[in-house]
Amino acid sequence: MATKTESDVSVINQIGNTPLVPLVSLTKGNVKYFAKLEGHNPFGSVKDRAALWMIKDAEERGILKKNQSIIIEPTSGNTGIALAGIAKLLGYGIEIVIPEKASNETKKIIESLGAKIYETSDDLCPKVGSGTDQSIALATSIASSRPETYYSPNQYANEANFMGHYKGTGPEIWEQTEGKVTHFFTGVGTGGTITGIGTYLKEKKPEIKIIGCQPQQNHLIQGWRNFEESAKPDLFLKRESVVDDWISVTNAEAFGVVKEVFEKDGLLISPSSAAVYASMKKYPIDNGHVVGIFADDGRKFKSVYAQQNVMSEDEFENNLKLAKHVSKIAYM
Amino acid sequence: MTGLFCPEPVFRTKIAIEKMQVGEVLTVLADDPASEDDISRWVNRNGHELLSMKKNDNVLEFTIKKVK
Repeated sequence: MATKTESDVSVINQIGNTPLVPLVSLTKGNVKYFAKLEGHNPFGSVKDRAALWMIKDAEERGILKKNQSIIIEPTSGNTGIALAGIAKLLGYGIEIVIPEKASNETKKIIESLGAKIYETSDDLCPKVGSGTDQSIALATSIASSRPETYYSPNQYANEANFMGHYKGTGPEIWEQTEGKVTHFFTGVGTGGTITGIGTYLKEKKPEIKIIGCQPQQNHLIQGWRNFEESAKPDLFLKRESVVDDWISVTNAEAFGVVKEVFEKDGLLISPSSAAVYASMKKYPIDNGHVVGIFADDGRKFKSVYAQQNVMSEDEFENNLKLAKHVSKIAYM
Repeated sequence: MTGLFCPEPVFRTKIAIEKMQVGEVLTVLADDPASEDDISRWVNRNGHELLSMKKNDNVLEFTIKKVK
């Protein structure tokens, strides 16, 4: 039987090296499309990478003390799940500040992983903004007034978030496509994914096109930012020039492809993955290897899809049984 | 709540009020100047009653009655 330490290490070691699968529904003529399935990380999303790299970086700099330090972070979802899972395995306290309108499924997962949750509302401190901006302000205020106990990784400005993709996801995509990748699509939340992968791929092949996907205002794409209604994060601003082009995507376009991707590719995908897929589908490309980030799978979005009339909860459950590439999640 | 900065004082006030019974009174001490606006605005917007707000040096003392 594995000891606790061995099993802890084995879960942490499963972060990264996610599969790259062909999207047969989009592939035609001289253009091949692929999805990088980040839902295969042990806590279910691309954010496992940023969470692990930020914690390891703080350990190396002597900021975190086992069984003493508390990690606190503002997040609307996946970063909270990833940090909660990893922090507990590594022996740190974990508190997550989350907008009250975040999905109940996400809040339940974070709590089940042993994190304390603070829910913020938009009326707390109107001058700081809305949604995640309230959570960022509260986490900052809690951490800054008790620096001996709290550490806030601040994924919006933490270079380790960038490095996780620059040293991890970027090289993986390069190797998985055998250097043939010509176009790369992803959304922007903190900017860690697009700048980390984009910077690495451009170093290998300067002519590669990095395309950022922008959701509409008042969007329902968890984890993404529309830059007309939300500020650009510091981490993104540092390497903003890596983005060659932007494509806008509406809620309707994103939710509209969820069933199509299930029927044609067998994948049950999340809203942000659907937004990347919809962006790749409408962006004109004549020739090349196109890679998009599917940041997580559809399993946390049963109620969202029912609300948005994408599929009923029964249909969702049936589709989940038939779906391909469904990974093992550490908290399930 | 002295030594804490916006929005933590108003967040802690909100949590304390949620745990109280209607009619009970809460006293809050805060030294973040932004609290003057934030706490009084939050109390009014959420339908509670700000019974008093006093300034002693840099410390603000709010007396808040839970109304609903």
